[in-house]
Amino acid sequence: MLPAQLGRAPRHLLVCERGHARHPRSRHAAHVRDHAYSCRVSFLIPECGLLPEVLKSTIADFGEYYLVRNLPIHELVAHEFIDAFVKKGSCYALAYKTKIDQDNTAALLPNGKLILSVDKDTYEELGLQGRPSRYSGKKVMRYIITVDLTDAGFHPESKKHNRVLWALKEKKPLEFDFLLAWYNTGAEGSTLMSYFSKNQIQALKPKITFSTLRDLQCPVLQSNDLQGKPEESCSTEELFEWLGAVLNQVSLDNKSSSFLSTYCCPEPNTVVEKAFLCTITGFIIPEKIIQLLEQLCCYFGEPKLAHWLTLTVHGFADSPVSWRESEHGFHKGGENLYNFVIFRNLDYWLHMAVGTHDDCPP
Amino acid sequence: MAGFADLNVPQGADKKSLQSLLEATAHLGYSVVALNHVIDFKEKKQEIIKPVSPSELFPSLPIVQGTSKRIKVLTRLTLVVSDPSHCNLLRSTSANIRLYDIIAVFPKTEKLFHIACTTLDVDLVCINVTEKLPFYFRRPPVNMAIDRGIYFELLYTPAIKDSTMRRYTISNAISLMQICKGKNIVISSAAERPLELRGPYDVANLGLLFGLSEGEAKAAVSTNCRATMLHGETRKSACGVVYTVKKPRKVEEEETAVPACKKAKTQA
Amino acid sequence: MAAAAFERRVLQSAAEHHYLRVRLELPDGGARPNAAQFKQLVVTALRELHGEVGAALPVDVLTYEEKTLSAILRVISSGLVKLWSALTLLGFYQNRRCAFRVLQTSPFLLALSGNSRELVLD
Repeated sequence: MLPAQLGRAPRHLLVCERGHARHPRSRHAAHVRDHAYSCRVSFLIPECGLLPEVLKSTIADFGEYYLVRNLPIHELVAHEFIDAFVKKGSCYALAYKTKIDQDNTAALLPNGKLILSVDKDTYEELGLQGRPSRYSGKKVMRYIITVDLTDAGFHPESKKHNRVLWALKEKKPLEFDFLLAWYNTGAEGSTLMSYFSKNQIQALKPKITFSTLRDLQCPVLQSNDLQGKPEESCSTEELFEWLGAVLNQVSLDNKSSSFLSTYCCPEPNTVVEKAFLCTITGFIIPEKIIQLLEQLCCYFGEPKLAHWLTLTVHGFADSPVSWRESEHGFHKGGENLYNFVIFRNLDYWLHMAVGTHDDCPP
Repeated sequence: MAGFADLNVPQGADKKSLQSLLEATAHLGYSVVALNHVIDFKEKKQEIIKPVSPSELFPSLPIVQGTSKRIKVLTRLTLVVSDPSHCNLLRSTSANIRLYDIIAVFPKTEKLFHIACTTLDVDLVCINVTEKLPFYFRRPPVNMAIDRGIYFELLYTPAIKDSTMRRYTISNAISLMQICKGKNIVISSAAERPLELRGPYDVANLGLLFGLSEGEAKAAVSTNCRATMLHGETRKSACGVVYTVKKPRKVEEEETAVPACKKAKTQA
Repeated sequence: MAAAAFERRVLQSAAEHHYLRVRLELPDGGARPNAAQFKQLVVTALRELHGEVGAALPVDVLTYEEKTLSAILRVISSGLVKLWSALTLLGFYQNRRCAFRVLQTSPFLLALSGNSRELVLD
């Protein structure tokens, strides 16, 4: 008897949407906003050799993020911090270099929710109310604790606040290296850098790389046809795989008889002489991605040779959430990523992909 | 969930190869390993030596890949038993035995497998993967072992080294799964060289080949190992209590001995 | 305006392929396989564990870098566990010890281009 699961692949989901970027009820920007933590953003523009200035400056404006080492988590619950940052803009924090299938981890969402994903022992020691992780199996080994820092009942004198502070400060002090970013519109105030000056804090800039791909085979797409038609256009899944091939520098011109690889660019396709690829790596917040997405839509404001372009965003494999507050886990890959195809007429396709321990994207 | 563990890194190797094994396990993402000292009663009279102190052996332990923590090193004793008299040692009050974090027994006969599962105070029962099963697994002892919180250990290195052993490994594992239903399985390496080690996700995938489900397979390199370690801790402390009660005259000596072993444990 | 119509498709566990990023580890000074030998080694591993049916499993070596012995493999989804276990249990290349390290797996090739566990952000 051979085990049945030999032929089964672990669960995964791919959601494909199409819509119009200028449609009043389009939710494409909301999907970006709801996905809080991203580690890499890439965009690919066919028929483009040189990046327009406006896109260059958008990228340059991606801003800094911060790495604070050994930050006790109770500092994120302190009212000075909540008043200075959480309530005055969008504050993002994510534990760095912790593995969610093995360790404790923590994240602060821009809506002021602090999420702790902890193992059973830590949960019992902390004594804070939480719920079992959805992906922990029959014997619960992991718990999720959510603390709403902006809740009216969480003022400095409240019982709730004091209990959380005591649990995190004295009962079971937890500390992590945190990636931090803060986005606020215009409001003056202190900066993360000065606020955490007593801690070990480092300001970091996203790493940006450009490259020009020559003679790239690109699939022919019809914006109103996600599934494609033979001889006419490629399907959204074909495009998704092709883009993966391009970003991983996979050779596209093989034959079905090739020994090494039989992968080839989906049909029909056209060869573009030049395509521009830009990759930004760091702790990237949704606000910046929305700005970039908007500028990429504006790219088609002037006549262009390209029929479409793509914007790919990779989430953190070990983030405790994927979209909104949906619990995210790591089974084999922890993938949570999305990709836009923006067409010349501002129709868009959106792919949202998650692995085994994840909810269906919104 | 818990960090990944390899509960069987043979201690026999010299210090330098042990160091390179430890570095390789940390690099592959294991956060806990157990150094295994094997005693085979077939080979003349064997003394149970004190476990090596990992902190003495390696003043600075390697950092687990992708984290900022150092790898945790435990000590383990494995007794290969082919005659019921061999088990006496486990029932005796040898102080050295209690110093090990994990105690495993490798029963060579059905009777000894039964004894190991039902009465012996051990944490792990080793499953033979290098030859055809010398006996059938039966439900009562296996269920009893599961109830007692004892885990069954499968090794994967023999399956890498030799195709015949690979067949035995898979078929013995599947036979066991039919009885234990995927519960209480630990998969370890017993690797003697870094190139025989495999990463935790790779080993979990092997678990599928052995008939485990996705969740059980990952547990076999993480949560089940943690449970084995906890079982070992409980056994150690429980043993101390019994000892104190039985020989009241030696209370003082014992009281100093117990904190010492606990101290060694926390340091490791 | 027909183009503005909204459409949503949810594909559950429907990926035709799975992808593995792997690295072959060899002892120092051993002969390094070229791309064709590398593919041959993968087929050998499949045959050793899963026999002729295993060897017939369609596997593509999408990329291979001889310098780092790293590759991206593609396999039909139903063959993922078979390919992965075959690579794990392979112990020898040209009579010398070797080890395949699977660095990442995903049903999405795109996921392999941004693995936060490997990115260095500081």
